[in-house]
Amino acid sequence: MKTILRGVALAGFGLLVSGAPMSAHHSFAAEYDSAKPVTLKGVVSKIEWTNPHARFYIDVKDETGTYTWNLELASPNVLSRNGWTRKTLNIGDEITVQGSLAKDGSKMANARVVTLASGKRVFAGSSEETPK
Amino acid sequence: MRRMLIGVALAVLAVPLLLAQGRGPAPPTGPAPKLANGNPDFSGVWQGGGPVGDLAQGMPKGESIPLNAEGQRVMASRQSKDDPEANCLPTGVPRTAPYPWRMLQTPTHVFILFEGNIHSYRQIFIDGRKHPVDPDPTWYGHSIGHYEGNTLVVDTIGFNDRFWFDFRGHPHTEKLHTVERYTRKDLGTITVETTIDDPGYYTKPFTVTFTGRLRPGEELMEYICQENEQDAAHVKGPAGTP
Repeated sequence: MKTILRGVALAGFGLLVSGAPMSAHHSFAAEYDSAKPVTLKGVVSKIEWTNPHARFYIDVKDETGTYTWNLELASPNVLSRNGWTRKTLNIGDEITVQGSLAKDGSKMANARVVTLASGKRVFAGSSEETPK
Repeated sequence: MRRMLIGVALAVLAVPLLLAQGRGPAPPTGPAPKLANGNPDFSGVWQGGGPVGDLAQGMPKGESIPLNAEGQRVMASRQSKDDPEANCLPTGVPRTAPYPWRMLQTPTHVFILFEGNIHSYRQIFIDGRKHPVDPDPTWYGHSIGHYEGNTLVVDTIGFNDRFWFDFRGHPHTEKLHTVERYTRKDLGTITVETTIDDPGYYTKPFTVTFTGRLRPGEELMEYICQENEQDAAHVKGPAGTP
């Protein structure tokens, strides 16, 4: 029973994070590849609470160096209506981001789930989740 | 047990829906309100009512959009990066952005105020004037309107040919003439029927219907698309997928 319930919950979460791609002002599928999921761990270096998308930048270290990634969220209006603010994320926060990679190979991704070091999830609802 | 499972499933399924709609209450039910003079009252903040991803979603079941050969050729040549919407330019008619809008009715004008993409407005003259002869083309064209019972009818000419009808890139020419019929079906629902007549790219006029929903408790917010647009440079491939 527990397994079934967990299955249902996971299915729901899958819907929550994948959603029906319907980006705000551009074709989601033309910019990001939902078949190319990525998980990035890093430190927030910059936050842009701007239109058409809020963005944040993280420094990610690997064996070859430190790279800055540009992560796209929904617009500030959509985020605000879902209860998030400019102060939800702060410079210096250590976070994990799950998202979809940009198709053109640049260090960009659409952020679906952002998890703070405390384990708290923020910005659930990316630009894939904008109102229809 | 089964009931509990269904409950859990429904609750879980409802989450993305609630997220997508923001934290407002559900659209109210009840009869459509009227203004003191008997005309329909479109006040409130609305969402939807036009195509976002695909104009064909507004066609009657079983019917397809009557593009002519040249219209098909233009549509097939379009690249997603060139979509005016992706470049923070207006949607034109009947396309809508996935953001709220408000209709403001005065005795002489109706204004449609758009929150997003772009933060702009349409102006509809309802003072009885006619269209100018051969107006210079613009993104929203020249609109005149009148009330017919519960419906606001808006007739528009003078469009430029730059906006797309949807992410798929349905095109039009400067010959485009639209007639929109806005009807508040009930307190929480508005339908927008748009007849598209463009002999440049279509073999005959056709009508698309889209439904908008009231967002009670909402206000329009600022949305200046141009301030940090980075997407168009990374968008790849032909127009086609939402």
